[in-house]
Amino acid sequence: MRFLIFSLLRLPIGVLMLLLLCLGNIGNSVAHLSSSSESTLHTNNWAVLVCTSRFWFNYRHMANTLSLYRTVKRLGIPDERIILMLADDMACNARNKYPAQVFNNENHKLNLYGDNVEVDYRGYEVTVENFLRVLTGRHEAAVPRSKRLLSDEGSHVLLYMTGHGGDEFLKFQDSEELQSHDLADAVKQMKEKRRFKELLIMVDTCQASTLFSQLHSPGVLAMGSSMKGENSYSHHLDPDVGVSVVDRFTYYTLAFFEKLNMYDNASLSSLFNSFNPNLLMSTAYHRMDLYQRSLEEVPVTNFFGSVMETLHTDSAYSSHRSIDVGEAKIKICTDQPISGSDRRILRNMNNKDQENSRHSFGQLWNSILSKSTTPENVDAFVCHSLLLMLPLLVVSTWLSR
Amino acid sequence: MRDSNGNAKVRWFWIWVIASLIFRLILLYFPESVNLSSRPEVSTPLTSIRRLAEGYWLKQSSLSPYAGSMYHGSPLLLTLLGPLTVRRIEGQPDHLLCSLVLVIADVVTAMLIRAAGQSLKMSSTSSLKSIGLHHLLEYSASLLLSEHLPSGDIAALVYLWNPFTIAACVGLSTSAIENLMIVLSLYGGCTRQAPVAAFGWVMATHLSLYPAILIIPVVLLFGYGPDAPPRKLLRQRTKTDSSSSIDKGSVEKDVKNQLRGLNFFSWKPVLHVLFWILLWSSYVLVLCGIYARRHGSLEELFKRTYGFILTIPDLSPNIGVLWYFFAEVFDFFRNFFLIVFHGNVLLMIVPLALRLNHRPCFLAFVYTVITCMLKSYPSVGDSALYLGLLGLFAYELSDMKFSFFLFSGYVGVSLLSPVMHNLWIWRGTGNANFYFATAIAYACLQLVLVVESVSAMLNHDRMLTKLSAAKLQDVKP
Repeated sequence: MRFLIFSLLRLPIGVLMLLLLCLGNIGNSVAHLSSSSESTLHTNNWAVLVCTSRFWFNYRHMANTLSLYRTVKRLGIPDERIILMLADDMACNARNKYPAQVFNNENHKLNLYGDNVEVDYRGYEVTVENFLRVLTGRHEAAVPRSKRLLSDEGSHVLLYMTGHGGDEFLKFQDSEELQSHDLADAVKQMKEKRRFKELLIMVDTCQASTLFSQLHSPGVLAMGSSMKGENSYSHHLDPDVGVSVVDRFTYYTLAFFEKLNMYDNASLSSLFNSFNPNLLMSTAYHRMDLYQRSLEEVPVTNFFGSVMETLHTDSAYSSHRSIDVGEAKIKICTDQPISGSDRRILRNMNNKDQENSRHSFGQLWNSILSKSTTPENVDAFVCHSLLLMLPLLVVSTWLSR
Repeated sequence: MRDSNGNAKVRWFWIWVIASLIFRLILLYFPESVNLSSRPEVSTPLTSIRRLAEGYWLKQSSLSPYAGSMYHGSPLLLTLLGPLTVRRIEGQPDHLLCSLVLVIADVVTAMLIRAAGQSLKMSSTSSLKSIGLHHLLEYSASLLLSEHLPSGDIAALVYLWNPFTIAACVGLSTSAIENLMIVLSLYGGCTRQAPVAAFGWVMATHLSLYPAILIIPVVLLFGYGPDAPPRKLLRQRTKTDSSSSIDKGSVEKDVKNQLRGLNFFSWKPVLHVLFWILLWSSYVLVLCGIYARRHGSLEELFKRTYGFILTIPDLSPNIGVLWYFFAEVFDFFRNFFLIVFHGNVLLMIVPLALRLNHRPCFLAFVYTVITCMLKSYPSVGDSALYLGLLGLFAYELSDMKFSFFLFSGYVGVSLLSPVMHNLWIWRGTGNANFYFATAIAYACLQLVLVVESVSAMLNHDRMLTKLSAAKLQDVKP
């Protein structure tokens, strides 16, 4: 009886020690993560491009969004990290003289609606509810992955919205509106759930700056095409297509980006300073009070493209594990081609790892365990065990006769 | 003369089997024009091969195959059929390897039905002889050609040539594998092979939850033996035999022993089969546990597979009746009605078991019809199973009423249901009520089938009782 009591007493102490250790670890990691976003690495870029207008005479809003889509793709963000929401179909509209083609200039040099345009939300799916669901990530279980914003705490997100707007609102589909406090609330939720590291909001509507007037979350940069009381104007009318084909703010943004390619490091401040109020016929206003970094040192490809910094390290590579096993692991992707010297560095690291493992027995055991629990081995094991069931059945039947 | 006839019949049987195989293979080469795998009657959220392919793709991308509410089947099926959905052969239709697996499953099921039918026939012959009604066999032979075509062969051919089975096979529904497992368990029960029966039951329950109620027929098969006339007839026979003091030799002694065996519920075979069930289910659980460790936990696995079957979150139309109802019920009452609908199935188990405990195979048939009627996501593959099993009892149920009505009803429903679906979904000139009407008609037909077949079987038993009583009165002075 006494032995039992002693062993029982020992158990809680051991359990307490374990708990303290775990809590210490968790506290450490939580403190680590909840510190400023500068401690997390910038790992991927996402773009959410929204066109909210319906009807043929709002052709220019579609062209705006598609132009930005093309730019963002050209500078490196792949389709799987772009959520494109187009509220109406201009390319295959019955009034389009050039079927399946969308232009943003009257010289028709650039067809924006080519073969590789991937629209995630189209037509009546572009609603305020779906937009907020995309931002906050609160989808129903059956929504496919291509329609979700799967960003994490290392993401830079570009949010571009265009359409008809006004004082503290943006009109969706000519029937409902997104208000500035809704947007601010969604951004606050995104920040709470750590769905972005930095967020750039660009709005091209009338009185655009009012839409982000209620934002409070840190790490957000916002740019609007006009201030309160001002309208944003279209750039020019295409007499052939019959409607205005692009807005001024987006036209000058594109003019800035057409001069760039993936490896240029033009800064955000140069983008923001490139807007001329006389040419725009409105005041382009940007809000940087929530953004900690200085705009001169942030390259535009941090938001509009997808160029990653390669970190050289001589020490052995340790993988970052996220706390929740179910979430996707952070992937470090390099879009730049790896140079020859980098490859040599990687190979040296591998050799060093192998040498280390040969020395200690514990590491050998770990390597055996890790090899046996690789996904392919587990699947093969399950498959073979399943197929083994049949001969087992035959043998057992024969034995029990 | 009879031997050559018998040989000719056997040859014809195999010719029909091979012809059905060739027919299926021909149909497999026209997947687009037939396009059965997108029909809601054929592929449900539980049996669709496209969902399986999606689940496999998710698994290959290191995600849980149950992410996103597409795949809801067993992970073991995913391991087996998943790689086959990806492997493509040049110039052949997609999913050809999967369809070949399903065709093989169909043929094996038919062979097992035939073997089960043969053992049923042998046991019924011996039990009829033991109650002295073996003249009935010649009687039926002259009128119903039982000598010419045994019920097992009829059932196998019905199963293979049933348009529902062919639709389920060509439409790439995994219900063919579930049917195979159910028939395997019945075959094991009829031939008294405990590991086979246990394996079939465990796999059938694992794949779709409803065959769990077939544990009762399996236990009865092992306790009492295959289908036999009511036990009171056998008891009367033993009483009269023991009361008569004339010893008629060793043949009668064998019959007496047989009667004594048929009277009692023998626990040893039942314990044997329960032991094997335990073995196979722990094997399957361990495999699922290993599988589930990588993608979440075992509870999550059960929640996504069995929880999906029981809580019915997916209300896409099918040939059952539950989707229409649950689309309208208020959330507050949803759990209550779920309990009611599932309890409906459970309620029928005990009375039927009490009434039909001397005919376990027929009891299994009735259970399959009831589950097909009331399960959450039925498809025509389930009805293929019970229509095949119906053939096993073709001679006992030969006097079933409304058989022509049922046949034309099935034909009508299978023709109208796609039309109503097209009117509702594609043309927009109909609405959900059109499609639900055919679903209700289908459920009614199954109900009539169950009621009439049970009453026909009980009438058959009553006839046997009457004849046996008449025979006893002849024997008695």
